[in-house]
Amino acid sequence: MKKLIWLELRKIFSKRLTQFALAVGLLLSALLAFSTWQNKYASDGAGNEGTGRTAVEIDKAVAARYSGILTDEKVQQMIAEIVPESGENGLNAIYLYQNTIQSAVSARFSDINGNWNGLRVSDLFGDESIKIGYVDGWLSTSRNMTSILVAFSFFIIMMIAPVFCGEYSGVDNIILSSKYGRTKCAEAKVIAGIMAALITTAIVLAVNLLMALAFYGSEGLDCSILFAQLTYIEGGIPFNITCGTLLVYQSVLAVTGTIGVTGITLLFSAACKNQMIALVASVAVYALPLLLPVAETSALFRLVVLLPIYHAQFVSLMSVAQMSGILLYAIWAVPAALILIAAGSIFSRRVFAGHQVS
Amino acid sequence: MELSAVNLTKRYGSKTAVNRLNVTLTNGVYGLLGANGAGKTTFMRLLCTVQRPTSGKIDLDGKNIWKLGERYRDVLGYLPQHFGYYPDFTALGFLLYVAALKGLDDRKAKKVSNKLLEEVGLSGESRRKIKTFSGGMKQRLGIAQAMLNDPYILILDEPTAGLDPKERVRFRNLISAYSKDRIVILSTHIVSDIEFIAEKIMMMKDGEIIHFGRPHEITSGIDGCVWECSVPTSRVEQYTASLNISNLRNEENGRTVLRVIADQPPVAGAVKVQPNLEDLFLYYFKGEDEQ
Repeated sequence: MKKLIWLELRKIFSKRLTQFALAVGLLLSALLAFSTWQNKYASDGAGNEGTGRTAVEIDKAVAARYSGILTDEKVQQMIAEIVPESGENGLNAIYLYQNTIQSAVSARFSDINGNWNGLRVSDLFGDESIKIGYVDGWLSTSRNMTSILVAFSFFIIMMIAPVFCGEYSGVDNIILSSKYGRTKCAEAKVIAGIMAALITTAIVLAVNLLMALAFYGSEGLDCSILFAQLTYIEGGIPFNITCGTLLVYQSVLAVTGTIGVTGITLLFSAACKNQMIALVASVAVYALPLLLPVAETSALFRLVVLLPIYHAQFVSLMSVAQMSGILLYAIWAVPAALILIAAGSIFSRRVFAGHQVS
Repeated sequence: MELSAVNLTKRYGSKTAVNRLNVTLTNGVYGLLGANGAGKTTFMRLLCTVQRPTSGKIDLDGKNIWKLGERYRDVLGYLPQHFGYYPDFTALGFLLYVAALKGLDDRKAKKVSNKLLEEVGLSGESRRKIKTFSGGMKQRLGIAQAMLNDPYILILDEPTAGLDPKERVRFRNLISAYSKDRIVILSTHIVSDIEFIAEKIMMMKDGEIIHFGRPHEITSGIDGCVWECSVPTSRVEQYTASLNISNLRNEENGRTVLRVIADQPPVAGAVKVQPNLEDLFLYYFKGEDEQ
């Protein structure tokens, strides 16, 4: 069985399309990470400003001054010390960006002129303890990974679609007449398909996280995502979790998304006689939830959001009401993915085992 | 061992490809003859469990081959008429893959694969990717994969297609040496291959076996129906249009010797000759889409 799985994996990875798509995925990750890092801008309000590495260093230095638990005193200190230049170009002070901490504090505690808006920490965050610090690097990485993981899902579909139907063009004669063709081979194909999808996802995740570590360092992993620039959609996740927890959730959801999309693709791969049909059908089913007119407030959304595309676009899933403590609703993505992969595995194995050569 | 088809029927919609076929095969080489659409490939696919019969069954020693499952396929080798391959696999890699499907352990798989590559004349090409192979080389690789598990039942659908004469001789020798105490079933376009190798012939027409027996037994059915006659070469076209001619041979004196299949002497002076399988084939399939 191990040998069969290994050979099926080799078959998947020896395909030019797989190699090309993986290379494109990694290149895209590198380009996105580099351009994001290179386009960072920060000013400390004391004459120091810059982009790229300099911006990251300025942001880190500013964040270090206020790191720790967010208090009303710190808010006042930030507003007093990081005063945005007044709107010389007609812009209101709140829209003048200096650095990530200034952006975060202005967005929540300043009025349009950059003065304190009267809100207290408890008004915004209740009795939550918000640890602040340099979170920009990890949140940039999380945002980039969302784009990459959605694109990567389509690569996984391309990689997995031929697993069964790729054999229907003639090799099925040989496979199905061999001893393990209808039994272990089908199992090996399912396992190899899942492994290939997980391996490539793990590579993409690892590459993205390692690049983030190289560009931004490890600071901020234990800081809350709630005190981030409003440009980060992660700020829309209404729970006090750290960047580290966010990345863990995103990685887990990337894996569950991969498992789910693999289940869907295996199913169509076995059922369709043609690779292109399997590919198109898998993509259609995978992307369908995005086209459904289901409002985020609808009860149905709680089910729709458990489908794999929302695992990659994880913010929607993470925004659904918290269950308890650190346990988010997103945890339901795990059984959802398991159901999809179980259905895909069982169905595809049965279809392939019962396949008749035409 | 005994392989029996009992009332075997396969229908595709309204078309019956194999029609209530009954045959029992024991050790030996069986040649399957028939025109296009006679049902040969479908019969072979049913024997190989790549298609399920509409009705009827195939038994190995009295046990249904579908119920035997892996145990049946463990003793089966199959070369399909058209088989796909993995273009980026090497010849050896492909054989090792099929060997794994057949349940051979690593060491045995490598040993047998290399031996078979040598036997089919591909040992020098074992590391080449299949996509660079000619049609004949792919066919030889197909023959090798069918024999990987040293099958007791070997089914070869058009095994000599694409092989040059030298390769065909090599193939015939390989099968002759291999066939002892086994069931080998092969169909081919080339009747002479079957004459050389097959001990028994199954002739199929419209999904049924119309003749089954040793070559001389089944050709005896048309004893007295094959003639040779010498005619002027200038009139050959005229004879070709009206007679069922299995062969013609030009001679130096402006005459041509025709081999004619007919119930009555085709021309005055025609002499009866011993029928062969090609004559038999033409006798039954004249006018059909012959292979």
